[in-house]
Amino acid sequence: MKNLKVLSIALVAVLGLFAFTTVADKLVSSKTHIKFFSTTPAEDIEANNYAAVSTIDKSTGKFVFSVPMQGFEFPKSLMQKHFNQKKFLHTSKYPKAKYVGDIKNLSDIDFSSDGTYTANVDGEMTIRGVTKKVTEDATIKVSGGKVSLETKFFITLADYDIEFERGKPSKNIADKVEVTAKAEYK
Amino acid sequence: MSKKKVIKKILLVVLVLVVIGGAYGAWMYFQPHRDVQDTETDYSLKASDIVQEYLTDNQAANEKYLAADGESKVLEIKGQVSEVSEDYEGNTVVLLKSDSAKAGVKAFFTQETSGEAKQVQVGSTITIKGVIRSGAAYDEDLEMYEDVVVEKSKVIKK
Repeated sequence: MKNLKVLSIALVAVLGLFAFTTVADKLVSSKTHIKFFSTTPAEDIEANNYAAVSTIDKSTGKFVFSVPMQGFEFPKSLMQKHFNQKKFLHTSKYPKAKYVGDIKNLSDIDFSSDGTYTANVDGEMTIRGVTKKVTEDATIKVSGGKVSLETKFFITLADYDIEFERGKPSKNIADKVEVTAKAEYK
Repeated sequence: MSKKKVIKKILLVVLVLVVIGGAYGAWMYFQPHRDVQDTETDYSLKASDIVQEYLTDNQAANEKYLAADGESKVLEIKGQVSEVSEDYEGNTVVLLKSDSAKAGVKAFFTQETSGEAKQVQVGSTITIKGVIRSGAAYDEDLEMYEDVVVEKSKVIKK
């Protein structure tokens, strides 16, 4: 009987340890900044979003960014309306964009040791219901146990069926927009 | 009327149209953002209610709350303060979520409203007003529930 008690305590302890490791393996960030930048001779357009959520799984290298599209803030109200409307991002139907990637060189990154690492991420971006492959390099910084990430890449709007045949935005928005994403993890 | 007078008249009409068109264009181009706090509230509800609505039928909830031009519904949401934090810009973020709930409402405050929001006590019940940006859902890639996102928030009752 006593053995059983010891055994069950040990079992609970081991299970508890497992539960703890799973939690500790995943870094979560709700402190993020995504910037969208488009430049044409007509004008430069910048939009900012602070409401995305990101995770990095330290054991598998899975890297995720989920972005509420209506959270993009433009300097001008009209630009923001264009961005959201059906012809462009259609955010009422597709409220979120998502990037799901794998860190290919996970063994090069030591999350427990201070330093700056380059992660080669291979993954898929889903915008407006269209999924495309996006390969990018991200800079992962570990400082005093805190992990942060920064990455910059280009998105070709036509890849996601975002096109302006006519009208003002076609001259004013670049074919390729620069996206900068930053996150601080807990 | 002489031919000259007719041409003059036509030119005048065209000029007036161009000025009106230009003014309309400029007004459209420079129109300011909607002031969420000055906008009438569309729905007053509890944090748990809107989360439940989203978890029950995501699509129906999106159709109800999200607008095609991004100027989505203005909500007053009452809930229990579960966490007070900061966004990347340094503005206050308050999570309204009861202890047993799967997801909550994450309210982002502005530069003007952050100071007051920062003072709210964890565990207390408050009401905020803001604009909805996205709903709650379980995300299988994040392997967690995402909260309802409300921005341009202000604490209206403590």
